Amino acid sequence: MEPLSETQVIKNLRQTEDPSAQYYAAWWLGKMRSQHPDAIPLLLRALEALDATPIDPEQRGVALNAIRALGLLRDMRAEQPLLALLHSNDYTVREEVVRTLGAMGSCGAVEGIRALLASGLEGAGAEQPSSPLLNEPCEALLEALGDIGDGSSSNLAVIQPFTEHPRPLIRSAACRALLQLTGLDQWGMELKKLLNHPEPLVRRGALLDLGATGWLAAVPSIRTAAVEPSLKLVALREVAERNVDPNDVLDAMDGLL
Amino acid sequence: MTNTALDQALQTLERATSTPELVKATQALCALNDLEAAKPLVKVLGFNNPAVAAVATQGLIQLGRDIVPILLVSLDARNYGARAWVVKVIAALRDPRGLDLLEHALQADIAPSVRRSATRGLADLEFSEDAAHDQLVRCFEGLLKAVRDDEWVVRYAAAYGLEQRLNSAAVSAHLAEQGRAALNQLASDAEGVRVVQLRALKALQRLNAG
Repeated sequence: MEPLSETQVIKNLRQTEDPSAQYYAAWWLGKMRSQHPDAIPLLLRALEALDATPIDPEQRGVALNAIRALGLLRDMRAEQPLLALLHSNDYTVREEVVRTLGAMGSCGAVEGIRALLASGLEGAGAEQPSSPLLNEPCEALLEALGDIGDGSSSNLAVIQPFTEHPRPLIRSAACRALLQLTGLDQWGMELKKLLNHPEPLVRRGALLDLGATGWLAAVPSIRTAAVEPSLKLVALREVAERNVDPNDVLDAMDGLL
Repeated sequence: MTNTALDQALQTLERATSTPELVKATQALCALNDLEAAKPLVKVLGFNNPAVAAVATQGLIQLGRDIVPILLVSLDARNYGARAWVVKVIAALRDPRGLDLLEHALQADIAPSVRRSATRGLADLEFSEDAAHDQLVRCFEGLLKAVRDDEWVVRYAAAYGLEQRLNSAAVSAHLAEQGRAALNQLASDAEGVRVVQLRALKALQRLNAG
């Protein structure tokens, strides 16, 4: 099969007869970092399906892929429509929107994200009845605050309680954000402790969180953690790209190839 | 070396369920330093448990090149994780008998971690006396393919590998020119991933200094 051309992909997203072609097209535009002039307008059009009642499940899928693609394309034209979706009553939509706004570094999202976290461990961080989900997508919310990089005291105050959350991955996300926003080693030390957690899933999460902070002191612990080399390389890449002198990080990466 | 010790270690491994138990049993198996342990160690690589697989990998590497034929026949086509570790062992042993396998893994494997390990292997492989030139050319060609891989980590490994190979005096002027051109490309803005650029730049700096 011939790979699709960008023109064809744009056409596939524009048509509305075949949602699976739209679904794939939305994904493709993000993956390929498309610069096509119609890409952003068409992805934004896909979001409109989320305003309908009832929401068509297939169009919801296209919209979710569009949100993810917008996170890769990082075009600020998407900011306002995404901010409006922070209040969606669909957990997954909120989660993907927050990830995308975090990736875009959207300062306009800070207040809305803080509001979603403000109810703390008893509210946002509590489990939904008979579901593994928390009331809010806390991991994504905490990570986004860290990525956006606004270290105001009101942000720090809202994040801090989550360092005591019963779920280790939420604690990891909170420590990651606090390390990004304050640069204080104490949060890095907490993340390093999580690298020794008995659950591989937690170790992997903490490893990627350490990488995202770019904290150079983490390199030896990342190198020796009981985690697949592929993930260590991903984490070390993040550290390398966030430092002016990444020589030691590159040496550590060479040793893991 | 009695078979009893091996049998005992295998039984302990069989009964192990938790990660610490599996690690301990695998360590015991490695400590025997027995070629008979190679096959069970390859099996351990397939447990999808990185802590255990890392121990088994070290054990296999420690057994040395005698295990290469065993490894070549026990590559499990269905288990990505295990394949990555086997290619890694072959790469670490630097045995020229692994060249076919590394080339094939780089060309045909869909798992980036396997292509990465294969590229690393092509960077470090030793050559047999009678076919050194031919093998060097094949390693170089593999590395030049890895430069065009879709995955950044394979291109990163290619930058590492080209630096290794360009350091060798045995490289012909023609290959050296191609290798330099590939590194220049990875160091340029045509390369979309910053860490790959950084690694290629580092390679070029060191090659120019040396």
